[in-house]
Amino acid sequence: SQQPHLQLCAQSRYALAQQRFNSASSQERPDVSSPSSKEKVYLTEACVKRLGELMEKGEYLRIHVEGGGCSGFQYKFSVDRNRTEDDRVFEQGGVGVIVDQDSLEFVKGATVDFSQELIRATFLVLQNPQADHGCSCGSSFSVKL
Amino acid sequence: VSKRKILPTRAALTLTPAAVSKIRCLLQDKPEYIGLKVGVRTRGCNGLTYTLDYTKEKDKFDEEVLQDGVRVLIEKKAQLTLLGTEMDFVESKLSSEFIFNNPNIKSTCGCGESFNV
Repeated sequence: SQQPHLQLCAQSRYALAQQRFNSASSQERPDVSSPSSKEKVYLTEACVKRLGELMEKGEYLRIHVEGGGCSGFQYKFSVDRNRTEDDRVFEQGGVGVIVDQDSLEFVKGATVDFSQELIRATFLVLQNPQADHGCSCGSSFSVKL
Repeated sequence: VSKRKILPTRAALTLTPAAVSKIRCLLQDKPEYIGLKVGVRTRGCNGLTYTLDYTKEKDKFDEEVLQDGVRVLIEKKAQLTLLGTEMDFVESKLSSEFIFNNPNIKSTCGCGESFNV
């Protein structure tokens, strides 16, 4: 069951890269990717695995973007059981991530990862096409204008 | 002639009970390592960030902190910036990390990873 996962991840990276390439090479070129696939949040294998260990049935990882941090915006992670009409749910490998519509504007196309190091183990948002540059910690970012 | 008093030197780094038990747990099944090594690296928006690694041996200039049976070494470069710091381990459902309560720092980044001495 790991193979399709990897593939999905590679595909998302490729899509991201291509998206960047497209926007960099020519502004006039029509965007070929459909809006629904762009407005997605991807999960890495490590993230799915960790969420599988952590979450009980009916629990989701909520990603919320709020003002603050040294670069203007920051990601907040929490555990949530309730989803409202405003929320989008991205499910993968039996686990789910909830993003509300306002926050999705800032994280669409990004990848959620779980990073495990000696000094800290935490969830991270990587490769966010909306983020210009961020703090080294990865929790704070500024938005591309 | 007054006798010169020998004051116990204050440990360069103190560990909270949570940090001690986590380090002990980390090292338990790794007999090849003698402890953890704390360092600083130039990175982040406020200049410096902490590093933490397993270590196999004590370098000549490393400061050794032995507390409750666990060993933490401090890199030479980090000794001045870390003096008097308390090392803690904080764990929540979504994340777990070692944090350093450093009395020497002037400013930190919002995330707490980067700091300035």
